[in-house]
Amino acid sequence: MSSTAQRAAGDSGDLAIETRGLTKRFGERAAIDGVDLRVPRGCAFGFLGPNGAGKTTMIRTLLGLTHASAGTMHVLGHPVPLERGQALQRVGAIVEEPRFHMHLSGRENLRIVAAARGPETRERIDPALARVGLSDRASEKVKKYSMGMRQRLGVARCLLADPLLLILDEPTNGLDPGGIQEFREMVRAMVEQEGRTVFISSHLLDEVEKTCDAAAIVDRGKVVTQGAMADLAAGGTARHELILGVDDAERALETLKGSELVLEARPSDEGLRVILAGGPQTVAQLNAVLVGAGIGVMRLEPVRHSLEARFLEITSRLDAHVEPREVSA
Amino acid sequence: MNATIAAQMMGADFLKLRKKRGTLIWALVLALAPVLIFFIVRAAQHSSNAIEHPSAGGLSGYTDAVRLLAMFFGPLAAIMIGTDAGAGDVSAGVFRDLVVTGRSRVALFASRVPAAVGLCWLVIGAGYVLIILGTYLLASGAPTPSGTLLANGLGFSLLSTGAICAVAVGFASLTASRPAALTVLIGWDLVASPILANISSLGSSRKLVLAQAVSHFSPVNLGDRGGRGSTVTMSGATGVIVLAVWLLAFLALGAWRTRTMDA
Repeated sequence: MSSTAQRAAGDSGDLAIETRGLTKRFGERAAIDGVDLRVPRGCAFGFLGPNGAGKTTMIRTLLGLTHASAGTMHVLGHPVPLERGQALQRVGAIVEEPRFHMHLSGRENLRIVAAARGPETRERIDPALARVGLSDRASEKVKKYSMGMRQRLGVARCLLADPLLLILDEPTNGLDPGGIQEFREMVRAMVEQEGRTVFISSHLLDEVEKTCDAAAIVDRGKVVTQGAMADLAAGGTARHELILGVDDAERALETLKGSELVLEARPSDEGLRVILAGGPQTVAQLNAVLVGAGIGVMRLEPVRHSLEARFLEITSRLDAHVEPREVSA
Repeated sequence: MNATIAAQMMGADFLKLRKKRGTLIWALVLALAPVLIFFIVRAAQHSSNAIEHPSAGGLSGYTDAVRLLAMFFGPLAAIMIGTDAGAGDVSAGVFRDLVVTGRSRVALFASRVPAAVGLCWLVIGAGYVLIILGTYLLASGAPTPSGTLLANGLGFSLLSTGAICAVAVGFASLTASRPAALTVLIGWDLVASPILANISSLGSSRKLVLAQAVSHFSPVNLGDRGGRGSTVTMSGATGVIVLAVWLLAFLALGAWRTRTMDA
């Protein structure tokens, strides 16, 4: 497991965001309902849910844009709203689509925010513009920018804080495939090379799966499950599954059931479906056991768990009231 | 928040306003065009019949031009600038991005006021320069205002427009809607204030009208033409109190709304 993935699993015990029982009500309706969320530092964390699940409300509450109805929250170790100013000093955020003063240039828009952040921030304007590839267009009015350029300017605005935590709400909205790829690479660089935490709210499962180390799935205002990405997709535990193609399935099944390398083995349409007791390194041992028993192995394929399948499974079961739970390695 | 950050934030708000060409051009038109037209028409009348029409400039021209700038068109320019400053961030959708910086919302509100009043005064200053030019260039031998009167006239113009500009910042921040604030304040300034001032049955309660309190400080005779001159007598202290109450009330309401609204 990489260090990023370890951090994502919460090994460091150091959290960028922590909420307990966080609730936001609009009248009788709870937009977020008793959310316990733990976002480890130094990872890309996906906040995944269908439209209307409460993702943006959660972000707005965390940032103090709206008041929580109940519960507690800590951002970068500071209680919010009590120490909101200190908490947000090293936080950059894009909430919904990035908005700007259209009559000002990109650089001038950054100057506005830099002025509110403090004198040292002004020096970060040019590096931030360069980082997102907007240096040569920085003097143009924002109304002439494309959607993708505005997204990038929004990221540049976040970088003015030299953020330990970036909170991005549906950041790939409006981006073309090239822009999405660039964005994904930028997020990974921020996490892996600069050690920042990136919190990405999205309804795009594929995007979160490709970009993030860990995620929480939210629906109808509740966090249904959260944890490292691989564990989340696997359905709660760090399962390593294989599909085996053998020349004698019956004998192979008997052999596997007697092996301590295997938690579970059962026939399926594709062959034998095996859940390993250990990690992927035990695959070779398992192969040796089968070959040693005189069984011909024709196929040995790890099962790739799909977050999409897990997401649909979880959200479609919500009517049956599934209790939130945490998964970790 | 230290003075450097406060100055930077005011500078940023000033930048937003001065770069808004539509607002700035219309404010300049309101401050300059009526004064210019006034002097041109008066000069034309004087040149056609010098006996019946006094010179366009001089003390008489100065008095009328100051009234035009300080009590009629200057306040409209001030309302345009003030409402833009008060509701500009919310209208553009960037208020939340400023809140996310962690800076106090009251500080975000407070920096709008000096920026708006500063720009307003620059615009009004340009109008006043035009008045001085017209007053002296078109005097045609008529008596001209003293240096003291010129200074007091400038002070009065700045007080009159600065006060309504600050009120506009507060009111636009309260409504969070520039069109609404603009409509209400222009309606108040052009229609409601003169009507209220002329309803004599309201008695001394008319002192509460902002334009009446402001006009008390005029160094020139405003008369009551147009209904916005000093129609209600009040003491200097009353004028100061009414002015202060208007400013404090609207600035406090604007700050309260900025602090409590969902961004």
